[in-house]
Amino acid sequence: MWQRRIKIIFLACVIFAAAFDLWRAYAQAVFQFQDHATVPLHSLGYPFMGLESLFKDVPGVGYYTDQTIDSGNPLATAQFELAQYMLAPTVLDLNHPRWRWDIFACTSPQTALEAIKRLGLVPLKTNHGIILAYNPRGID
Amino acid sequence: MIYLLGLLISLTAGLLFIRVFASKRLEAVLHLLLALSLGLGLVGTSAFYVHILLNQFNRFIPVAVVLSGTLVSFFIKPFSLPQLRMTKAHALGLLVLGLIAVPLAVCAHYYPFGGWDAWSCWNLKAKFIFLGHEHWKEVLAPSFWRSNTQYPLLWPLINVWFWDLGGKFSQAVPMLNSVVIALLTAGVLFFGLLELTGRMWPNLLAVFIIMAVPFNIILYASQYSDSLLGLYLLSSFLCLLLAEKYNEANFRILSMVFLGLMSFAKDEGLAAAVIAAFVIYWHLLPKKNGVGLKAFWKDNGKLIFWFIVAALPTVIFKLFLAPKNVAFINGLVSADKPTDWARLAVIAVYPWFEFISAKWGGFWLLAAGGILLAGKKLWRTAAGTIGLTLVFYLGVVLAYYALNTYFEIGWWMSTTLSRILFALLPTVVLWIGYGLET
Repeated sequence: MWQRRIKIIFLACVIFAAAFDLWRAYAQAVFQFQDHATVPLHSLGYPFMGLESLFKDVPGVGYYTDQTIDSGNPLATAQFELAQYMLAPTVLDLNHPRWRWDIFACTSPQTALEAIKRLGLVPLKTNHGIILAYNPRGID
Repeated sequence: MIYLLGLLISLTAGLLFIRVFASKRLEAVLHLLLALSLGLGLVGTSAFYVHILLNQFNRFIPVAVVLSGTLVSFFIKPFSLPQLRMTKAHALGLLVLGLIAVPLAVCAHYYPFGGWDAWSCWNLKAKFIFLGHEHWKEVLAPSFWRSNTQYPLLWPLINVWFWDLGGKFSQAVPMLNSVVIALLTAGVLFFGLLELTGRMWPNLLAVFIIMAVPFNIILYASQYSDSLLGLYLLSSFLCLLLAEKYNEANFRILSMVFLGLMSFAKDEGLAAAVIAAFVIYWHLLPKKNGVGLKAFWKDNGKLIFWFIVAALPTVIFKLFLAPKNVAFINGLVSADKPTDWARLAVIAVYPWFEFISAKWGGFWLLAAGGILLAGKKLWRTAAGTIGLTLVFYLGVVLAYYALNTYFEIGWWMSTTLSRILFALLPTVVLWIGYGLET
């Protein structure tokens, strides 16, 4: 008898959990459908979109940043990895501006321009704080 | 449209492959669901042999390989289409899939690039293989260590095969494949339990308590290989239970094929596949009059053969292509980062907090209740192999957390343990559901 009661209680818990989960799933879907305010993490990769056509058949491109790329700096790491994804199969060479093309993703455009000037490169284009520079001595 | 054609080719390949092995006719919807699950693995495998092993990057070859294989399967064993009958249970199953599909589709659209590991690991490799052609191996260079270069390639190669068919890279392919895999998991679970137990309503609840949890929906939409691992583990054990129910040994071959494919999904999949295969072989060993080698081969030879065939891409990749895992320090011998008591204490305590975390919606508490209620039934016959596999697999995972001291343990467990448990959810539900309802 007590076993039957426990089974009924268990079944009631499962029914409640299933109904609650389904309600939460749809609440999440409604939120996601209507949400236009949250800036998604993958939007960090948008400034690099379109560059893949410029880098077609280019094996490597420099990627310079004044931030450390590690687990302690998730946004800078995410941006680097999204840039790599957007531009694949071109390999991004982190902080080695030895290539013909170099991308500067620094904390401010001013910092990036200073680095470009220091390294003797030519800034070509800016997109959302990301600067594309040309290295006259760089390798293709 | 091209994507749908890809699904249709995968489905046909899977249907005919299953038909070659299974002499008993499976229920039509379950047959179709298992066929598409298997078909996705077959197209990924064909992309492996053509692009990775033979270094051929003509996009038509992997498609032609699948079509030729399908044609050969057709002539090996004459095939008639599964007879679809719309019963109340089928209508309910399709309603369940429809209800799950809406939040999944919205979530997949909300995260079009998937989660972090999708762009940093899985889809990155797929792009390198599809667009980089013979230069794809640059993604295995040490500078890509964050991309888990040692991980197997099934999920990337499935996406590559669809891009091969379409002729261009499209972000929609991994996005749609992630939704398809989630729906396949829900469908295989519902119709699989229906086939095993004949009950509808408890199975409906079983599907909702894992597929409707918002955290799981996000993980399914994240385009990670974990969902593929979860689908193949579920499919493998379902085939094992069906083999027992119908006394149809050939379903065990399908079970082994699913395990072999799973080993190419992720390193964790490889560990789970090896453990599951050994547990299944042990389960099938003759228990009386000792264990003779002859008897062992007679019972398990075919199964071992098909497991190795399906796992061959994993073997080739791991032996000849995969770089060494640079994110590994052997804590047992390391003087700099030894395995210490503090690490072991975190490993012993953390999972319990994970189990009661609100993100699971109380699932693990219900699972514990289900295990207690089902009792001994969960540890008998083929169901027992599921339980033992889950226990051994979790033991191996926890041992690896203790052994590899490269990462700080709190951060590592907080980012990975939930995904390991997520991949086990469908199999846990199959196991408990089968135990409770039979």
